[in-house]
Amino acid sequence: MSEAVETTIYPARTIHTMNRAHPSAEAIAVRGTRILGIGSVDELSTWAERLGPYTVDESFADKVLFPGFIEAHCHVMTGGMWQFPYVGFFDRRGVDGRLWTGCKNIAAVVERLSEVEQQIDDPEETLIAWGLDPIYFDGEERLLAHHLDEVSATRPMFVYHASGHLATVNSALMAKEGITRQAATPGVARYESGEPNGEFQEPAAMRLAGDAFTTFRQTIASAEAKWNYGFEARNAGNTTVADLGTSNVADEEKLTEWRSVVNDPDFPCRVMVAGASGVAGTVDPTSLAELVLELQATESEKLRFGVIKIVIDGSIQGFTARISWPHYFNAPEGHPGNGLWLIPPDQVADLVSVYHQAGLTVHCHCNGDEAAEVFIDAVEEAHRRHPRVDTRHTVQHCQLTTPPQYRRMATMGMCANIFSNHMFYWGDQHRELTVGPERAEQMDACGTAEAAGVSFSIHCDAPVTPMGPLHVAWCAVNRLTASGRVLGEQERISVDTALRAITTEAAYQLKLDHDIGSLEAGKLADLTVLDDDPYEVDPATLKDIGVWGTVVGGRKHPAAKSNA
Amino acid sequence: MSDIPVTVIGGYLGAGKTTMVNHLLRNAEERMAVLVNDFGSINIDEELISDRDGDTISLANGCICCSLADGLAAALDTVLAFDPKPERLLIEASGVADPASIAAYAHAPGLRLDAALVVVDAETIRARSTDKYVGDTVVRQLASADLLILNKVDLVDADVLSGTKAWLSRQAPKAAIVEATNGAVASAVIFDLGLVNRAVHNVSETVAEDVFQTWSWTGDELKRSHIENLMTALDERDDVFRVKGVVTLTDEPDQPMVLQRVGSRWSLTVLESEDKPTLSRVVAITAPDALKPDGLDTWLGSATST
Repeated sequence: MSEAVETTIYPARTIHTMNRAHPSAEAIAVRGTRILGIGSVDELSTWAERLGPYTVDESFADKVLFPGFIEAHCHVMTGGMWQFPYVGFFDRRGVDGRLWTGCKNIAAVVERLSEVEQQIDDPEETLIAWGLDPIYFDGEERLLAHHLDEVSATRPMFVYHASGHLATVNSALMAKEGITRQAATPGVARYESGEPNGEFQEPAAMRLAGDAFTTFRQTIASAEAKWNYGFEARNAGNTTVADLGTSNVADEEKLTEWRSVVNDPDFPCRVMVAGASGVAGTVDPTSLAELVLELQATESEKLRFGVIKIVIDGSIQGFTARISWPHYFNAPEGHPGNGLWLIPPDQVADLVSVYHQAGLTVHCHCNGDEAAEVFIDAVEEAHRRHPRVDTRHTVQHCQLTTPPQYRRMATMGMCANIFSNHMFYWGDQHRELTVGPERAEQMDACGTAEAAGVSFSIHCDAPVTPMGPLHVAWCAVNRLTASGRVLGEQERISVDTALRAITTEAAYQLKLDHDIGSLEAGKLADLTVLDDDPYEVDPATLKDIGVWGTVVGGRKHPAAKSNA
Repeated sequence: MSDIPVTVIGGYLGAGKTTMVNHLLRNAEERMAVLVNDFGSINIDEELISDRDGDTISLANGCICCSLADGLAAALDTVLAFDPKPERLLIEASGVADPASIAAYAHAPGLRLDAALVVVDAETIRARSTDKYVGDTVVRQLASADLLILNKVDLVDADVLSGTKAWLSRQAPKAAIVEATNGAVASAVIFDLGLVNRAVHNVSETVAEDVFQTWSWTGDELKRSHIENLMTALDERDDVFRVKGVVTLTDEPDQPMVLQRVGSRWSLTVLESEDKPTLSRVVAITAPDALKPDGLDTWLGSATST
């Protein structure tokens, strides 16, 4: 390659490097994809000059720069969702920057869908929407077929709920797919008359939606979804995201798609694609380990491999997480008492051992403390079989992990990735319904993790909650619920700790800390460009700081212009 | 097109699900599609494999295996797109799945639920049921079963076996209990009549086994109310594994019906076939000596209209 490598020096209002040796600087010099150095403009230009021509770019002169934020637990389908209209409760910004205001009741959902419906020309086309979250509606209002029939009596409609466990369809869709009162599928909810009311609960029933469900599943795994994933990350200020366990890396076609999208210079993000052994451990672990090692050996700077994702329990708000006695606080009628295992607990040690022995890092979804216990036991057993150092095996979500568990994690050098956004989005429900006041105050215990000396990150799990590193940090710092209650004051962490969680610590747990996570000479030139300084603003407004965009590998990626 | 029967095979890790699936694949008389968690554990002779394509393996005997790597919905789409369509679907559940939640997928256009089977390890089930982590999961699985396949009975003594069976009857009051060793259970027990009614036609091929007994009966038209009463009476027993047959009813003699019963679930549905038998034929598969020597005559003999 004869392409000339140039040096660019960016002076800024402040640069927070997250490197303890040089916490802040006035400028950063970027050469190619990497950081030449941080320091004063004078210091940097002396060095740059020696290497050849350089420019001083003033575009960030009034901005605050951070090492690119890292979202260490989200899913590529968050990008795919934006190919459909959003009808969720909270305001959410689309990949194009459009602000979708939250639909606070059923009338608002119907109004939103009517607007969208009128813009579709083809009368046969199914209208698919996403994000519906009736848990927040007053009086347990449910969106049912007759509401959707107001929008259209002829166009099939399919509304996917935020929980991922339900969909609501209209009468036209049921007519098209032949769903009548004779439908025997469990999960087809009914009106008192016995007619299906349009609510399809759980995937077996959702599958009755036929083409609509298939289209939805395929769209959220498409190449366009991958592009939008990167755009959503950029808009939020993330420069690296980890797609944890959404992609079947053994699928050559999907892998090729990942490579062509992420390695495109216009794609604004690095992606760590975790190898997943399927929802129920469906891929042979030994072959998966070999494959991931092979992918890691030939990875690019932008598309990374090397972690394995496994899932062993469900979700707390879905009452399917495995929680130790006394289990659930106020579970719905008919609930069996505890949640679900997704992998037999007896199998976890064998599974973890395969990846552990191969030298890979295992990231295990554990919402409940019982799940965390099984995973921590499995890691201990893996160490007994194959002693190893520096594994960074990570408890993902880590929502009810207890102080003794954090201490065991610290002993074994494990990491935590804590789902801090839950505080805001479901904190009230956790207090009233799922785990009760005491455990709700102890959930997502960043303070305990810090005290135990566990390296931890914090995450959004998009599309479960919106991508937004500053929101994730705001939650961990403030622990405010949607109703404004402070939940577990003692578990709050400082702004500095929260910012480390989304930079150096996230990089550490992905084993990318040699390349990203802090700003220092030699590392990749990934920057998050902010309008204000998180260390200076009122911590209660951390989430409101404007994001100009990012720099990834030295290339600028401004966020989509917002309309609000 | 008739609906494809779906069998769900559940049960905790180590109970013998995969062994049973392998046994059924080797002895398949129908073109089965088998959805499995892990190809690696399916023991197929290389010479039987006619084609491999990503997530599916085609066998020379017409069966296909499909991996659940991309989830059940995707696997179902894959196998239902096969031409010709499979005659039977077998889904191997993960060791912690609730078979009922998987059986829910069978209530869909083009499919019907044959049975949810739960394979039980006779040696370990009692201990498992009180396990700190999986006790509730294991007990929930039992309650979802139409048939319990009590496997590894050769490894426990008679007292333990009868105690375990009594306990299982309480856990799964709706299910019959079939004893097995090495996961080998005859297809006639595992499957219903299927799309081609083979089990009725070939009943003599599967008679000889000491863990079950097959009784067959041929006669004239039956009264619908008599069948209903008989089916209700059978709810009290856990030694009648299956009842299946094609019957003609006194109230609709020109429309032969298919009678199917597994565990405590039964149905009487219209026979979709060009071939309209005029006689009723019923097969019952039971624990050994569950019926008196006159077999089904006690149940059905008096019901004929002649």
